[in-house]
Amino acid sequence: MKPFWIYYQKEMLEASRTYKWIWVPAVFLLLGIMQPVSTYYLPEILTMSGEVPPEAAALFTIPSADSVMASTLSQFSTIGLLVLVLAGMNTVAGERATGTAELVLTRTVSTLPMMGAKWAAMMTLMLVSFALGLAGAAYYTHQLIGPLEWGAVASGGLLYAVWLAWIVTLVLPLGAVLRGPAAAFISLGTAAALSLLSGLLPSRFQWSPGRLSSMAAEWMLGAGAGAWAPVIAALLIMLLSIIAAAGLLRRSPLSPQS
Amino acid sequence: MEINWGLIWPILALQAILAVTGLVSLFKAEPANIRGPRWMWVLIILLGNILGSIAYFAAGRRET
Amino acid sequence: MTEKLLSIHELTKSIGSITPVKGISFDLKRGGCTALLGPNGAGKTTTLRMLAGLIPPTRGEIKHGSADKQTNDWRHRIGYLPQYPKFYSWMSGKEYLSFSAKLSGLSGQKALQRSQEVIEMVGLQQASKRRISGYSGGMKQRLGIAQALVHEPELIMLDEPVSALDPIGRREVMDLLNRLRGEVTILFSTHVLHDAEEICDDMVLMVDGEIAEKGALSELRSKYRQPVLSIEVEPGERELAWLHGLSKRSFVQEAEVGKHRAKLTVTDMGAARAALIKELADNGIELLRFEAGTSSLEDMFMKVVGP
Repeated sequence: MKPFWIYYQKEMLEASRTYKWIWVPAVFLLLGIMQPVSTYYLPEILTMSGEVPPEAAALFTIPSADSVMASTLSQFSTIGLLVLVLAGMNTVAGERATGTAELVLTRTVSTLPMMGAKWAAMMTLMLVSFALGLAGAAYYTHQLIGPLEWGAVASGGLLYAVWLAWIVTLVLPLGAVLRGPAAAFISLGTAAALSLLSGLLPSRFQWSPGRLSSMAAEWMLGAGAGAWAPVIAALLIMLLSIIAAAGLLRRSPLSPQS
Repeated sequence: MEINWGLIWPILALQAILAVTGLVSLFKAEPANIRGPRWMWVLIILLGNILGSIAYFAAGRRET
Repeated sequence: MTEKLLSIHELTKSIGSITPVKGISFDLKRGGCTALLGPNGAGKTTTLRMLAGLIPPTRGEIKHGSADKQTNDWRHRIGYLPQYPKFYSWMSGKEYLSFSAKLSGLSGQKALQRSQEVIEMVGLQQASKRRISGYSGGMKQRLGIAQALVHEPELIMLDEPVSALDPIGRREVMDLLNRLRGEVTILFSTHVLHDAEEICDDMVLMVDGEIAEKGALSELRSKYRQPVLSIEVEPGERELAWLHGLSKRSFVQEAEVGKHRAKLTVTDMGAARAALIKELADNGIELLRFEAGTSSLEDMFMKVVGP
């Protein structure tokens, strides 16, 4: 357990020294707040833009509180996910490319504690940022639009966190083989492909962790179906990713050029 | 409808925090560790809103 | 003091179709300083990476010390400095050392204390709290040596520790290594014989993945100290013919003949000198220079390493 904590501290320190602990939570909080606020002021904005006659803007009905929360999640799925993957893409790939892994790996036998700590540090950043963003969205929605069912928000948020977690975890094994940007691109591509497939063929992809984002939105709307299969699939993907990343890093701790 | 500034200012504050953090990091970094010219990133951070700061944090600095 | 700290046997590494290390064997004595000498591409770095446990050998075995060859705690008893050490540039020098020490099993407090000690040992006191991103090349190399020493290893392995440094940085590192001699067993690779002679007792000479020569430097020096005669003559046909005939003399062990000079390694300097002076006079060779001396390790090194 001890090497794990040493690495975890190092990863957390690195994330704060490279400003990740400021910009990632700030982006999530912004995304979370802006959705309810812009929904609330949409009629004003439409009127002010002058392209819509005031009568039409007045007809615009403000959506329900829980559907505002659900559309906040789709904000997190685009910019939020991009930010998490970009922030995490160099945790493994960077150590290989710059060569810092060489000195560290002469001191330890197993790369598993190191990889576990990298994962845990990424998850810490992700959970804190996402919780902040979700709380901000919920608070503003509650204030501006209407009362919320807190249980549905919490359970939907939890399910959504699993969705974010498994995609972000993919950059670990990918980074042990590829360069950072390539790892980021492929993990985002995998996520997009899986959620597209499970949207097109829902019966074939019952288990697909790609369903988690849309299921989380449904849970927030209070219409929750059972999500055990995709959650278990996501957890398995994370576990396998960490183990694979540890093995791959041990086999080639240095980027090919050195 | 009255605009409630108590609701708006946190958004502006967060954008300011993002931009200021980006600029601080940009000016503390060695020129060799910045991808591209520094003034370009200053413009991107100041004019690009959230996305400008994200772009800087994600791609602006080189790993050494 | 002849206890073996490390012994390797028939160590081989193949990567794809190339074999950078071809079955080498040698021992390291506790407390000694051994130079792994050889030209670039001889397989020195690959050998050290295998010894540091970074890459697995294809064949052969590495034995650390006499005891516990099965456990992995030998990693805590070696310090390794790669040729181009890379640190976390966002850490300070002291933070990096304490992080490294903790990874090697030291407690938090002990790690801090040892970090301070090695910082003073390598003379980085002033920079210890600064970020590594602002360090110069020489400072990084000294930090690299400090991290190799921080966990009090028995053996430190340094890959070309002075090659990338300017003369001042190089002097600093060589002096540091000189002070460490005796306290810790040192294995360092270099392509400069002079560096090896300056601080080491033993050397292993590698060429093309094989060991060309190994042993104590003093023994090797006397082994390769052989009488050498250098002769230089005026250009001329008679002179040239005579020079080319020299290699057939019974006392000549080896001859290097050029256009108007020859370098002869001889078995018996007295006999050779007498015979050749007589020949010069009898044949009326127009002599420019005739010099008796001895060959050095440098000559041997150049011959083995040269094209």
